[in-house]
Amino acid sequence: MKIWTSKTETAAVKKIAADDMMLTKDMPTAAGSKMLDGYLSLLEAEALTRMKNAGYGICGKANVGEFAVDLMGETSCYGVPSADGVLKNAAAEIVQSGEAMAAVGLDVNGSIRRAAAQYGLVSVKPTYGTVSRYGTVPVACSGETVSVTAKNIADCREILDVLAGHDDKDGTSLSEAECEKIRQSAGCGETVRRVAVISEFTEGVDAKTAECLNAAKKALSENGIEVAEISEKTIAAARIAWNILMSAELCNNVSRYDGVKYGYRSADANTIDELYTNSRTEAFGDLLKTAILYGSDTLSTENYMKVYDKALRVRRLVSESFGKLFEQYDAVLMPACSRSAYSEDITASERDIAFTENLYTAPASITGLPTVTAGGVQLIGKAFSENALFEAAKLYE
Amino acid sequence: MEQDTLRKLELLNQLSLNEVQKANLLAFFADREKELDVLNAMNTDDVERMVHVMPIMTVVREDIASQPFSRDELQKGAPDTNQGYWCVPRVVE
Repeated sequence: MKIWTSKTETAAVKKIAADDMMLTKDMPTAAGSKMLDGYLSLLEAEALTRMKNAGYGICGKANVGEFAVDLMGETSCYGVPSADGVLKNAAAEIVQSGEAMAAVGLDVNGSIRRAAAQYGLVSVKPTYGTVSRYGTVPVACSGETVSVTAKNIADCREILDVLAGHDDKDGTSLSEAECEKIRQSAGCGETVRRVAVISEFTEGVDAKTAECLNAAKKALSENGIEVAEISEKTIAAARIAWNILMSAELCNNVSRYDGVKYGYRSADANTIDELYTNSRTEAFGDLLKTAILYGSDTLSTENYMKVYDKALRVRRLVSESFGKLFEQYDAVLMPACSRSAYSEDITASERDIAFTENLYTAPASITGLPTVTAGGVQLIGKAFSENALFEAAKLYE
Repeated sequence: MEQDTLRKLELLNQLSLNEVQKANLLAFFADREKELDVLNAMNTDDVERMVHVMPIMTVVREDIASQPFSRDELQKGAPDTNQGYWCVPRVVE
């Protein structure tokens, strides 16, 4: 099981692991793909620069699944990370073992949140636009977010405080004035008083996940927070729309990998078309090929309006549903995954599980809302309500 | 999805699938097709597309000429170069 893709010495007391979706100049960035194996970037991710400037040390790169679209990292070109028959996640292993105080990575399809939930760690996926994505490997740009995993809420909060802030180099990074405007229009309070639990997300989870959910509900209730069970079908449809949008964006983003300017090149190519096709065919894994072809299909002339355009409109419906829900509640409590562990051969029996298990992570990805995962469950809040979410999650951390 | 459409997608995306991958992909597409019923049941006639999750305008940077990296630096990671050019198989016969 390959946990680290690279390691480096740092004199800093507080060590941070970067996941391999974050570009580094002194260590290769492969994004878990044979396509980028050994690739040394000329850029450094702004998030890592900020960590260094604040006195933290980047001690290495954590292995990720190919372009971070899988469950836990199982599609990495460096092999399936597993132990005792269970899938493992590299960044979570590093944080849990104490080799790094925290891990900073790119949440594309929820793998960071699933890992935090299964390891009993804390992770924050901040509001879209809070942390610069400059210098990350682009996959699904309209929803992916630089996120943090740590052992506890205090550490997670400390790292997010360093990372947050406008960056001119990222066109989607919000200024403080823009954040404040959105915060006010969303009616963000300092505390969470009412929490909704959406039944569509609690059915079908395993016993241990249900236990985590019940423990969180109990802790919130015991501390005077109203917890209500509701039904919300529109938000549950986020997964289907997210799969369309994520795949379409991924298809475009990985079209740059052709074996010419950088990355893997097939040794078996006599023509330029063979060079492109053989390089991509040999370097990309099955899950990535599936996402590329699905994304391409949704963008085809035939399907653009009925699939891609539809997904963009459903995204607004999901966002509006959250908006209505937040008129009554301050946060939504839900699982981050359906089970407390995945068997190492799960993708053999459930080949498309990365496109179904994201039922729980897609709502926040597609809307850009913040989530705090702690105690094995995630809490989703209004835009820029991270502080309130941290405070509430402390109750069941 | 028809085999022909899949072949077209492979060509467009410069990928070549083996028979097992093709069969898996056709099953995947069939599952996604079924899921579309859920979206199609949602009325989106008067709903505006949501491209950005935040109300942001595309930021256009100042148009200032600069050269952050040299050609040599940019070609360091290239699989094959010659005298500042990227090498590919012969295109013109």
